[in-house]
Amino acid sequence: MYMNIDEIEQDLGVMQLSDSFFPTGIFATSNGLEFLFTEKKIQGMTDLIGMIRINITQQIGPSDCVALGNVFDSASKHDFDKVIEADSIVFATKPIKEIRDASVRSGVQLIKCVTEFVKDDKILNQYQKHIIKNKVHGIFPVAFAICCNALKIKKEKSMMMMLYGFTVGIVGAALRLGLIQHFEGQKSIHSIKPIISQAIKEFSNKSLLEMWQFAPQMDIIQMSHEKMDSKMFIT
Amino acid sequence: MTHIPRIGIGGPVGSGKSMLIERLVPMLAEKGYSVSIISNDVISKEDADRMRSNLATNRGLLPENLVIGLATGGCPHTAVREDPSMNLSVIEEMESKHPDLDLIIIESGGDNITTTFSPILADYFIYIIDVAGGDKYPRKGGLGIESCDLLVINKIDLAAMVGADLEIMKKDAEKIRNEKPFELINCKTDEGVMKVTEHIIHNVLLDSAPKSAITQKV
Repeated sequence: MYMNIDEIEQDLGVMQLSDSFFPTGIFATSNGLEFLFTEKKIQGMTDLIGMIRINITQQIGPSDCVALGNVFDSASKHDFDKVIEADSIVFATKPIKEIRDASVRSGVQLIKCVTEFVKDDKILNQYQKHIIKNKVHGIFPVAFAICCNALKIKKEKSMMMMLYGFTVGIVGAALRLGLIQHFEGQKSIHSIKPIISQAIKEFSNKSLLEMWQFAPQMDIIQMSHEKMDSKMFIT
Repeated sequence: MTHIPRIGIGGPVGSGKSMLIERLVPMLAEKGYSVSIISNDVISKEDADRMRSNLATNRGLLPENLVIGLATGGCPHTAVREDPSMNLSVIEEMESKHPDLDLIIIESGGDNITTTFSPILADYFIYIIDVAGGDKYPRKGGLGIESCDLLVINKIDLAAMVGADLEIMKKDAEKIRNEKPFELINCKTDEGVMKVTEHIIHNVLLDSAPKSAITQKV
Protein backbone atom coordinates (compact mmCIF):
# COMPACT_ATOMS: atom_id res chain seq x y z
CA MET A 1 0.00 0.00 0.00
CA TYR A 2 1.29 3.43 -0.92
CA MET A 3 1.58 6.28 1.59
CA ASN A 4 -0.46 9.35 0.80
CA ILE A 5 1.05 12.82 0.61
CA ASP A 6 -0.04 13.75 4.17
CA GLU A 7 1.59 10.64 5.60
CA ILE A 8 4.79 11.29 3.71
CA GLU A 9 4.89 14.88 4.98
CA GLN A 10 4.26 13.74 8.55
CA ASP A 11 7.09 11.23 8.31
CA LEU A 12 9.38 13.89 6.87
CA GLY A 13 8.51 15.98 9.94
CA VAL A 14 9.48 13.02 12.13
CA MET A 15 12.81 12.74 10.34
CA GLN A 16 13.47 16.48 10.49
CA LEU A 17 12.85 16.87 14.24
CA SER A 18 14.59 13.57 15.09
CA ASP A 19 17.70 14.38 13.12
CA SER A 20 20.77 15.10 15.24
CA PHE A 21 21.37 17.93 12.73
CA PHE A 22 18.27 19.70 14.10
CA PRO A 23 19.61 22.62 16.18
CA THR A 24 18.60 22.31 19.83
CA GLY A 25 22.03 22.09 21.47
CA ILE A 26 21.44 18.55 22.72
CA PHE A 27 24.76 17.40 21.20
CA ALA A 28 26.50 19.18 24.09
CA THR A 29 24.74 17.21 26.84
CA SER A 30 25.68 13.87 28.41
CA ASN A 31 23.16 13.74 31.30
CA GLY A 32 25.84 12.84 33.82
CA LEU A 33 27.66 10.29 31.68
CA GLU A 34 30.77 12.46 31.58
CA PHE A 35 31.01 12.42 35.38
CA LEU A 36 30.66 8.62 35.49
CA PHE A 37 33.30 8.29 32.79
CA THR A 38 35.76 10.68 34.44
CA GLU A 39 35.35 8.94 37.79
CA LYS A 40 35.81 5.56 36.08
CA LYS A 41 32.43 4.39 37.34
CA ILE A 42 31.21 3.27 33.94
CA GLN A 43 32.89 0.73 31.71
CA GLY A 44 31.71 -0.06 28.22
CA MET A 45 28.48 -0.72 26.43
CA THR A 46 26.64 -2.78 29.06
CA ASP A 47 27.00 -0.07 31.69
CA LEU A 48 26.00 2.56 29.15
CA ILE A 49 22.80 0.71 28.27
CA GLY A 50 22.05 0.35 31.99
CA MET A 51 22.46 4.07 32.50
CA ILE A 52 20.17 4.96 29.59
CA ARG A 53 17.60 2.43 30.86
CA ILE A 54 17.51 4.08 34.28
CA ASN A 55 17.25 7.51 32.70
CA ILE A 56 14.29 6.45 30.58
CA THR A 57 12.40 4.32 33.12
CA GLN A 58 13.03 6.45 36.21
CA GLN A 59 13.54 10.00 34.92
CA ILE A 60 12.37 11.15 31.53
CA GLY A 61 9.78 8.38 30.99
CA PRO A 62 7.59 9.17 34.01
CA SER A 63 8.20 12.94 33.80
CA ASP A 64 9.03 14.24 30.30
CA CYS A 65 6.98 11.60 28.45
CA VAL A 66 3.94 12.19 30.65
CA ALA A 67 4.30 15.94 30.10
CA LEU A 68 4.67 15.43 26.37
CA GLY A 69 1.56 13.23 26.19
CA ASN A 70 -0.54 15.72 28.15
CA VAL A 71 0.67 18.75 26.23
CA PHE A 72 0.09 16.94 22.98
CA ASP A 73 -3.53 16.20 23.94
CA SER A 74 -4.04 19.76 25.24
CA ALA A 75 -2.52 21.30 22.11
CA SER A 76 -4.80 19.18 19.91
CA LYS A 77 -7.80 20.48 21.91
CA HIS A 78 -6.44 24.08 21.90
CA ASP A 79 -6.41 24.04 25.71
CA PHE A 80 -3.54 26.43 26.39
CA ASP A 81 -4.12 26.60 30.16
CA LYS A 82 -3.23 22.91 30.42
CA VAL A 83 -0.07 23.55 28.39
CA ILE A 84 0.97 26.22 30.89
CA GLU A 85 0.23 23.87 33.77
CA ALA A 86 2.37 21.10 32.25
CA ASP A 87 5.22 23.54 31.63
CA SER A 88 5.19 24.50 35.28
CA ILE A 89 4.92 20.94 36.65
CA VAL A 90 7.61 19.35 34.48
CA PHE A 91 9.96 22.24 35.31
CA ALA A 92 9.45 21.45 38.98
CA THR A 93 10.28 17.76 38.47
CA LYS A 94 13.85 18.61 37.46
CA PRO A 95 15.78 19.12 40.69
CA ILE A 96 19.21 19.49 39.06
CA LYS A 97 19.85 23.05 37.89
CA GLU A 98 22.22 22.10 35.07
CA ILE A 99 19.69 19.63 33.61
CA ARG A 100 16.77 22.05 34.11
CA ASP A 101 18.61 24.95 32.45
CA ALA A 102 19.72 22.82 29.50
CA SER A 103 16.14 21.56 29.03
CA VAL A 104 14.79 25.12 29.02
CA ARG A 105 17.47 26.39 26.65
CA SER A 106 16.87 23.53 24.20
CA GLY A 107 13.10 23.97 24.41
CA VAL A 108 13.23 27.70 23.76
CA GLN A 109 15.59 27.27 20.79
CA LEU A 110 13.41 24.46 19.40
CA ILE A 111 10.36 26.74 19.46
CA LYS A 112 12.33 29.58 17.88
CA CYS A 113 13.50 27.32 15.09
CA VAL A 114 10.13 25.70 14.32
CA THR A 115 8.31 29.06 14.30
CA GLU A 116 10.68 30.04 11.48
CA PHE A 117 8.93 27.56 9.17
CA VAL A 118 5.54 26.80 10.77
CA LYS A 119 3.54 30.00 10.79
CA ASP A 120 -0.06 28.92 11.18
CA ASP A 121 -0.23 26.96 14.43
CA LYS A 122 -2.10 28.85 17.14
CA ILE A 123 -0.71 26.95 20.16
CA LEU A 124 2.85 27.17 18.85
CA ASN A 125 2.54 30.93 18.36
CA GLN A 126 0.88 31.37 21.75
CA TYR A 127 3.61 29.37 23.50
CA GLN A 128 6.34 31.38 21.78
CA LYS A 129 4.71 34.66 22.86
CA HIS A 130 4.49 33.37 26.43
CA ILE A 131 8.20 32.46 26.35
CA ILE A 132 9.11 35.96 25.18
CA LYS A 133 7.02 37.45 28.00
CA ASN A 134 8.57 35.02 30.53
CA LYS A 135 5.15 33.59 31.33
CA VAL A 136 6.25 29.98 30.67
CA HIS A 137 9.64 28.29 30.98
CA GLY A 138 9.80 26.80 27.50
CA ILE A 139 11.01 23.48 28.87
CA PHE A 140 11.97 20.87 26.28
CA PRO A 141 9.26 18.14 26.51
CA VAL A 142 6.51 20.77 26.37
CA ALA A 143 8.16 22.60 23.48
CA PHE A 144 8.72 19.29 21.69
CA ALA A 145 5.07 18.24 22.04
CA ILE A 146 3.88 21.59 20.69
CA CYS A 147 6.23 21.41 17.71
CA CYS A 148 5.30 17.82 16.90
CA ASN A 149 1.61 18.69 17.10
CA ALA A 150 2.20 21.66 14.81
CA LEU A 151 3.88 19.34 12.30
CA LYS A 152 0.93 16.92 12.60
CA ILE A 153 3.08 14.12 14.00
CA LYS A 154 1.20 11.56 16.08
CA LYS A 155 1.56 11.52 19.89
CA GLU A 156 3.22 8.11 20.20
CA LYS A 157 5.63 8.96 17.41
CA SER A 158 6.50 12.23 19.17
CA MET A 159 7.29 10.32 22.34
CA MET A 160 9.35 7.83 20.37
CA MET A 161 11.28 10.69 18.75
CA MET A 162 12.02 12.35 22.08
CA LEU A 163 13.24 9.12 23.69
CA TYR A 164 15.22 8.17 20.61
CA GLY A 165 16.82 11.62 20.50
CA PHE A 166 17.70 11.35 24.17
CA THR A 167 19.25 7.90 23.61
CA VAL A 168 21.25 9.01 20.59
CA GLY A 169 22.46 12.06 22.55
CA ILE A 170 23.93 9.91 25.32
CA VAL A 171 25.34 7.33 22.89
CA GLY A 172 26.95 10.19 20.93
CA ALA A 173 28.48 11.52 24.14
CA ALA A 174 29.81 8.01 24.93
CA LEU A 175 31.42 7.83 21.49
CA ARG A 176 33.08 11.23 21.87
CA LEU A 177 34.32 10.31 25.34
CA GLY A 178 35.84 7.14 23.89
CA LEU A 179 33.76 4.90 26.14
CA ILE A 180 32.50 2.82 23.20
CA GLN A 181 33.25 2.46 19.50
CA HIS A 182 30.85 3.18 16.64
CA PHE A 183 29.45 -0.35 16.17
CA GLU A 184 28.79 -0.56 19.90
CA GLY A 185 26.96 2.77 19.59
CA GLN A 186 24.50 1.27 17.13
CA LYS A 187 24.22 -1.94 19.17
CA SER A 188 23.40 0.18 22.21
CA ILE A 189 20.66 2.06 20.35
CA HIS A 190 19.24 -1.25 19.13
CA SER A 191 19.23 -2.65 22.68
CA ILE A 192 17.34 0.39 23.96
CA LYS A 193 14.47 0.00 21.47
CA PRO A 194 12.34 -2.33 23.73
CA ILE A 195 12.87 0.08 26.64
CA ILE A 196 11.61 2.95 24.49
CA SER A 197 8.55 0.98 23.32
CA GLN A 198 7.75 -0.06 26.87
CA ALA A 199 8.05 3.54 28.10
CA ILE A 200 5.69 4.76 25.38
CA LYS A 201 3.18 2.05 26.33
CA GLU A 202 3.45 2.85 30.03
CA PHE A 203 3.55 6.65 30.04
CA SER A 204 1.63 7.86 27.00
CA ASN A 205 -1.72 8.15 28.72
CA LYS A 206 -0.90 9.16 32.29
CA SER A 207 -2.37 12.36 33.69
CA LEU A 208 -0.23 15.28 34.83
CA LEU A 209 -0.96 14.32 38.43
CA GLU A 210 0.63 10.93 37.81
CA MET A 211 3.94 12.50 36.78
CA TRP A 212 6.97 11.51 38.85
CA GLN A 213 10.68 10.89 38.63
CA PHE A 214 12.84 8.97 41.10
CA ALA A 215 16.49 8.21 40.40
CA PRO A 216 18.42 9.56 43.39
CA GLN A 217 21.73 8.07 42.29
CA MET A 218 21.35 9.70 38.86
CA ASP A 219 20.44 12.97 40.57
CA ILE A 220 23.65 12.81 42.61
CA ILE A 221 25.68 11.96 39.49
CA GLN A 222 24.14 14.86 37.58
CA MET A 223 24.74 17.20 40.54
CA SER A 224 28.35 16.05 40.70
CA HIS A 225 28.74 16.91 37.02
CA GLU A 226 27.69 20.49 37.86
CA LYS A 227 30.69 20.74 40.17
CA MET A 228 33.30 19.38 37.76
CA ASP A 229 36.06 21.87 36.94
CA SER A 230 37.01 20.37 33.64
CA LYS A 231 34.30 19.16 31.31
CA MET A 232 33.31 18.75 27.70
CA PHE A 233 29.54 18.58 28.19
CA ILE A 234 26.95 21.04 29.51
CA THR A 235 25.30 18.32 31.62
CA MET B 1 14.90 42.81 22.30
CA THR B 2 18.03 44.90 21.71
CA HIS B 3 20.53 43.35 19.30
CA ILE B 4 23.99 43.76 20.76
CA PRO B 5 26.76 43.57 18.14
CA ARG B 6 28.71 40.31 18.34
CA ILE B 7 32.15 39.24 17.23
CA GLY B 8 33.15 35.60 16.90
CA ILE B 9 36.79 34.75 17.45
CA GLY B 10 37.92 31.34 16.20
CA GLY B 11 41.21 29.61 15.60
CA PRO B 12 43.31 26.58 16.44
CA VAL B 13 44.15 25.53 19.99
CA GLY B 14 46.93 27.75 21.38
CA SER B 15 46.75 30.38 18.64
CA GLY B 16 45.96 33.11 21.18
CA LYS B 17 42.17 33.55 21.07
CA SER B 18 41.80 34.14 24.81
CA MET B 19 44.95 36.26 24.94
CA LEU B 20 43.65 38.44 22.10
CA ILE B 21 40.42 38.98 24.03
CA GLU B 22 42.41 39.83 27.15
CA ARG B 23 44.22 42.52 25.13
CA LEU B 24 41.19 43.83 23.24
CA VAL B 25 38.87 44.28 26.21
CA PRO B 26 41.07 46.83 28.07
CA MET B 27 41.51 48.83 24.85
CA LEU B 28 37.76 48.85 24.23
CA ALA B 29 37.07 49.63 27.91
CA GLU B 30 39.52 52.55 27.74
CA LYS B 31 37.35 54.01 25.00
CA GLY B 32 34.25 53.49 27.16
CA TYR B 33 32.81 50.40 25.48
CA SER B 34 31.09 47.87 27.68
CA VAL B 35 31.89 44.29 26.67
CA SER B 36 30.87 40.80 27.70
CA ILE B 37 32.57 37.51 26.84
CA ILE B 38 31.27 34.00 26.10
CA SER B 39 34.07 31.47 26.04
CA ASN B 40 33.32 28.12 24.39
CA ASP B 41 35.82 25.76 25.87
CA VAL B 42 36.63 22.34 24.48
CA ILE B 43 37.39 20.64 27.75
CA SER B 44 37.55 23.03 30.69
CA LYS B 45 36.46 26.39 32.06
CA GLU B 46 40.08 27.44 32.34
CA ASP B 47 39.99 30.16 29.66
CA ALA B 48 36.78 31.65 31.03
CA ASP B 49 38.10 31.48 34.59
CA ARG B 50 41.36 33.16 33.59
CA MET B 51 39.63 35.95 31.66
CA ARG B 52 37.19 36.46 34.52
CA SER B 53 40.05 36.69 36.98
CA ASN B 54 42.28 38.96 34.84
CA LEU B 55 39.67 41.26 33.35
CA ALA B 56 36.85 41.30 35.90
CA THR B 57 38.13 40.36 39.36
CA ASN B 58 41.58 41.96 39.19
CA ARG B 59 40.99 44.93 36.89
CA GLY B 60 37.27 45.59 37.20
CA LEU B 61 36.88 46.10 33.44
CA LEU B 62 33.58 44.21 33.38
CA PRO B 63 31.39 42.45 35.94
CA GLU B 64 32.38 38.84 36.76
CA ASN B 65 29.01 37.50 35.62
CA LEU B 66 29.63 38.86 32.12
CA VAL B 67 32.37 36.31 31.46
CA ILE B 68 30.58 33.04 30.75
CA GLY B 69 32.15 29.65 30.05
CA LEU B 70 30.20 27.25 27.84
CA ALA B 71 30.88 23.52 27.33
CA THR B 72 30.62 22.32 23.75
CA GLY B 73 30.27 18.55 24.05
CA GLY B 74 33.55 17.97 22.26
CA CYS B 75 32.23 19.70 19.13
CA PRO B 76 33.51 23.30 19.19
CA HIS B 77 32.66 23.98 15.55
CA THR B 78 29.11 22.63 15.94
CA ALA B 79 28.48 24.99 18.85
CA VAL B 80 29.26 28.08 16.78
CA ARG B 81 28.18 26.95 13.34
CA GLU B 82 25.67 24.12 12.70
CA ASP B 83 23.90 24.31 16.04
CA PRO B 84 24.61 27.58 17.85
CA SER B 85 21.49 27.11 20.06
CA MET B 86 23.28 27.16 23.41
CA ASN B 87 25.33 30.25 22.50
CA LEU B 88 22.21 32.01 21.19
CA SER B 89 20.37 31.12 24.36
CA VAL B 90 23.09 32.72 26.52
CA ILE B 91 23.20 35.77 24.23
CA GLU B 92 19.43 36.23 24.45
CA GLU B 93 19.70 36.17 28.25
CA MET B 94 22.44 38.80 28.06
CA GLU B 95 20.50 40.98 25.65
CA SER B 96 17.52 40.83 27.93
CA LYS B 97 19.39 41.47 31.19
CA HIS B 98 22.14 43.82 29.94
CA PRO B 99 20.79 45.88 27.03
CA ASP B 100 23.40 48.55 27.86
CA LEU B 101 26.25 46.34 26.60
CA ASP B 102 28.08 47.61 23.51
CA LEU B 103 29.60 44.33 22.36
CA ILE B 104 29.55 40.59 22.96
CA ILE B 105 32.70 38.63 22.17
CA ILE B 106 32.19 34.92 21.50
CA GLU B 107 35.33 32.80 21.63
CA SER B 108 35.05 29.44 19.92
CA GLY B 109 36.76 26.38 21.34
CA GLY B 110 40.12 25.67 19.72
CA ASP B 111 39.48 23.97 16.43
CA ASN B 112 40.73 23.35 12.91
CA ILE B 113 41.08 25.57 9.86
CA THR B 114 37.52 24.95 8.69
CA THR B 115 35.95 26.83 11.60
CA THR B 116 33.39 29.48 10.71
CA PHE B 117 30.68 31.19 12.75
CA SER B 118 26.99 30.99 11.93
CA PRO B 119 25.95 34.42 10.64
CA ILE B 120 23.03 34.36 13.09
CA LEU B 121 25.53 34.07 15.95
CA ALA B 122 28.29 36.52 15.01
CA ASP B 123 28.08 39.76 13.03
CA TYR B 124 31.84 39.78 12.50
CA PHE B 125 34.29 36.88 12.43
CA ILE B 126 37.94 37.11 13.41
CA TYR B 127 40.11 34.07 12.69
CA ILE B 128 43.42 33.88 14.49
CA ILE B 129 46.45 31.74 13.66
CA ASP B 130 50.03 31.97 14.88
CA VAL B 131 53.42 31.76 13.23
CA ALA B 132 54.40 28.62 15.14
CA GLY B 133 52.22 26.60 12.78
CA GLY B 134 54.67 27.54 9.99
CA ASP B 135 54.61 30.20 7.27
CA LYS B 136 52.59 27.85 5.03
CA TYR B 137 49.49 28.43 7.19
CA PRO B 138 47.87 31.33 5.26
CA ARG B 139 48.74 29.72 1.92
CA LYS B 140 46.98 26.47 2.85
CA GLY B 141 43.74 28.40 3.29
CA GLY B 142 40.67 26.77 4.75
CA LEU B 143 37.25 28.25 5.43
CA GLY B 144 38.34 30.13 8.55
CA ILE B 145 41.33 31.83 6.94
CA GLU B 146 39.56 32.59 3.68
CA SER B 147 36.10 33.62 4.79
CA CYS B 148 36.67 35.53 8.05
CA ASP B 149 36.17 39.28 8.17
CA LEU B 150 39.60 39.79 9.71
CA LEU B 151 42.53 37.38 9.74
CA VAL B 152 44.94 37.83 12.62
CA ILE B 153 48.44 36.32 12.60
CA ASN B 154 49.72 36.18 16.18
CA LYS B 155 53.07 35.59 17.91
CA ILE B 156 55.11 37.38 15.23
CA ASP B 157 57.93 37.70 17.76
CA LEU B 158 58.45 33.95 17.43
CA ALA B 159 58.80 33.96 13.64
CA ALA B 160 62.60 33.87 13.56
CA MET B 161 62.73 31.16 16.22
CA VAL B 162 60.42 28.79 14.35
CA GLY B 163 61.80 29.61 10.91
CA ALA B 164 58.65 31.33 9.68
CA ASP B 165 59.07 34.08 7.08
CA LEU B 166 56.62 36.90 7.85
CA GLU B 167 56.94 38.33 4.34
CA ILE B 168 55.75 35.02 2.87
CA MET B 169 52.86 34.97 5.33
CA LYS B 170 51.90 38.52 4.36
CA LYS B 171 52.06 37.84 0.61
CA ASP B 172 50.09 34.60 0.91
CA ALA B 173 47.51 36.24 3.18
CA GLU B 174 47.04 39.07 0.67
CA LYS B 175 46.61 36.57 -2.13
CA ILE B 176 44.26 34.15 -0.40
CA ARG B 177 42.24 36.86 1.32
CA ASN B 178 41.52 38.64 -1.93
CA GLU B 179 41.85 42.17 -0.46
CA LYS B 180 40.06 41.34 2.78
CA PRO B 181 42.03 42.61 5.80
CA PHE B 182 44.58 40.83 7.95
CA GLU B 183 46.82 42.00 10.78
CA LEU B 184 50.10 40.75 12.21
CA ILE B 185 50.20 41.02 15.97
CA ASN B 186 52.03 40.08 19.12
CA CYS B 187 49.64 39.77 22.04
CA LYS B 188 52.52 39.69 24.53
CA THR B 189 53.52 43.27 23.71
CA ASP B 190 50.25 44.57 22.22
CA GLU B 191 51.99 45.16 18.89
CA GLY B 192 49.28 45.44 16.25
CA VAL B 193 46.43 44.82 18.70
CA MET B 194 45.20 48.43 18.51
CA LYS B 195 44.68 47.92 14.78
CA VAL B 196 42.40 44.95 15.55
CA THR B 197 40.53 47.16 18.04
CA GLU B 198 40.11 49.81 15.34
CA HIS B 199 38.70 47.23 12.91
CA ILE B 200 36.13 46.29 15.57
CA ILE B 201 35.17 49.86 16.37
CA HIS B 202 34.86 50.76 12.70
CA ASN B 203 33.30 47.61 11.24
CA VAL B 204 31.26 46.22 14.13
CA LEU B 205 30.41 49.23 16.29
CA LEU B 206 30.22 51.44 13.19
CA ASP B 207 32.26 54.16 14.93
CA SER B 208 29.37 54.87 17.27
CA ALA B 209 29.99 56.26 20.75
CA PRO B 210 29.67 53.89 23.72
CA LYS B 211 26.08 53.50 24.92
CA SER B 212 27.04 54.85 28.35
CA ALA B 213 28.28 58.09 26.76
CA ILE B 214 25.05 58.46 24.78
CA THR B 215 22.96 57.84 27.93
CA GLN B 216 24.93 60.45 29.88
CA LYS B 217 24.34 63.08 27.17
CA VAL B 218 20.60 62.39 27.18
